[in-house]
Amino acid sequence: MKSKLRQTLFTVLGSLLVALPVLAHHSFTMFDMSKSLTLAGTVTDFQWTNPHVYIEIDVPGDKGATSHWSVEMGSPSILIQSGWKFSSLHKGDKVTLVINPLKNGQTGGFLGKATLPDGRTLGNGPGREP
Amino acid sequence: MTSKNLRLASAILLALPGIGLTQSATNPPDLTGVWGIYRPGRGADPKFTAPPASPLAIKPEYQKAYDSRRATEADAAKRGEQLDTPGVRCVPYGFPGMMQVAVYPVEFIQTPKQITVVGEAFSEVRRIYLDRPQEKIEDVAPGYYGRAVGHWEGDTLVTDTVGIKPSISVYRGIPHSDQMRITERIRLIAPDILHDQITINDPVTLEKPLTYTVAYKRTKPDYEMVEFVCDNNREYVDEKGVVRMKVESK
Repeated sequence: MKSKLRQTLFTVLGSLLVALPVLAHHSFTMFDMSKSLTLAGTVTDFQWTNPHVYIEIDVPGDKGATSHWSVEMGSPSILIQSGWKFSSLHKGDKVTLVINPLKNGQTGGFLGKATLPDGRTLGNGPGREP
Repeated sequence: MTSKNLRLASAILLALPGIGLTQSATNPPDLTGVWGIYRPGRGADPKFTAPPASPLAIKPEYQKAYDSRRATEADAAKRGEQLDTPGVRCVPYGFPGMMQVAVYPVEFIQTPKQITVVGEAFSEVRRIYLDRPQEKIEDVAPGYYGRAVGHWEGDTLVTDTVGIKPSISVYRGIPHSDQMRITERIRLIAPDILHDQITINDPVTLEKPLTYTVAYKRTKPDYEMVEFVCDNNREYVDEKGVVRMKVESK
C-alpha cells in the first residue's frame, strides 16, 4: 500500500514536472527511488547547509566492519517545513535512516525517513513525509 | 528633481506606451508579504491555480536545436541520468525562473517607487522600478535579472523586463535573443492568492509570444525567509556530463 502511494506520488510529481517549468537544484535520477535500504548507525556529522542537508553516518556491519554512508536531504528551507532543525542531530547520535540508495553502488543515498534518538520519525520535506 | 523636471518626466512617462503612470498608482493593492507557490493537487482550489500555458511556438530555424537538446535530456533520463544544468552547479536561475523554484517562496517588498522580489532559493533578488522609464533594449547589460520597470494599471502591476543573458533558461530552455522582452501582469485574484502572468516575447526566436502563469498563496503571516547560500554543493558533473553526488569516504 505504502509503495503504491509512493508510486502515485511520483507519478503526480512527474506529471507536474511535465506540465510546469518547475526548477529544482537537481532531479532524483541518480537515486534508485524504487529501492529502500535501512541504515542503523551513529551520526558522524550533520551538515545543515545549502543546497542540501547531509547526514554522515557510520553503520556497523558483519564481523565488526563499519561502512560509512552520506545521506542527502532537502534544503534547510524545505526541511524546516517538516519539523527538522539545525540541531535535530548531533555527532554520536544513534539513528535509523531509510534511504533510496545511489544507483552507482556508492555508499550514498537520499533520505526517505529518519528515526531520531528521541523516537520521532521525520521525513524529507513536504510531500515526502514519513 | 524640480517641479518642472518632475512634470517633464511625468509627461515623458505618460507618452511612452506601456509605462504610463495611471491614476490608481496612488492607491495600489499591497503585495508585500511572502508568497508560496500554489500548485494543483493536494486540496488546491482549481479556481485559484494557474491556467495552462499558451502553446509554445519556436521559429523553425531554432526548433531543431531545441528539440535535439530536449531529446538528449529525455534519453539521459531514460538511462537514469541527469545532465548538467546551471542549477546543479548552484548558479542562480535568474528571471523569470526565480519566480517558481520548486517549493521555495518569494517575498514581495512594495514601496511607492520600487517593488523588490526576493526568491528564497539562492536568495535571488530582482528590483522593479516604478518611477522611471525603461532603457532602450540595446543599452541594458545582459544579466540574470535584466532591468525591470513597472506601473499600475488599476489593480494590476504591469512590468517590463529586458536584458536577460542568453544562458538563462527563461522557459524549459527555449532559445532567446537580445531582443527578448518579458512582461508580467501581477494581480491579487483573491485576498491571499496572487497570480503572475508572464509573457515572453522574442521576435527573433518565437513565432508568437508565450504566456504562462505562476500562482501563489500567501504564507503564514509569521513566515521568515530562510537564507540560502550554496556553500556545500556535493553534486558534480562527471567526465560524461552526468550529475553525480560526492560521497564522503570514511
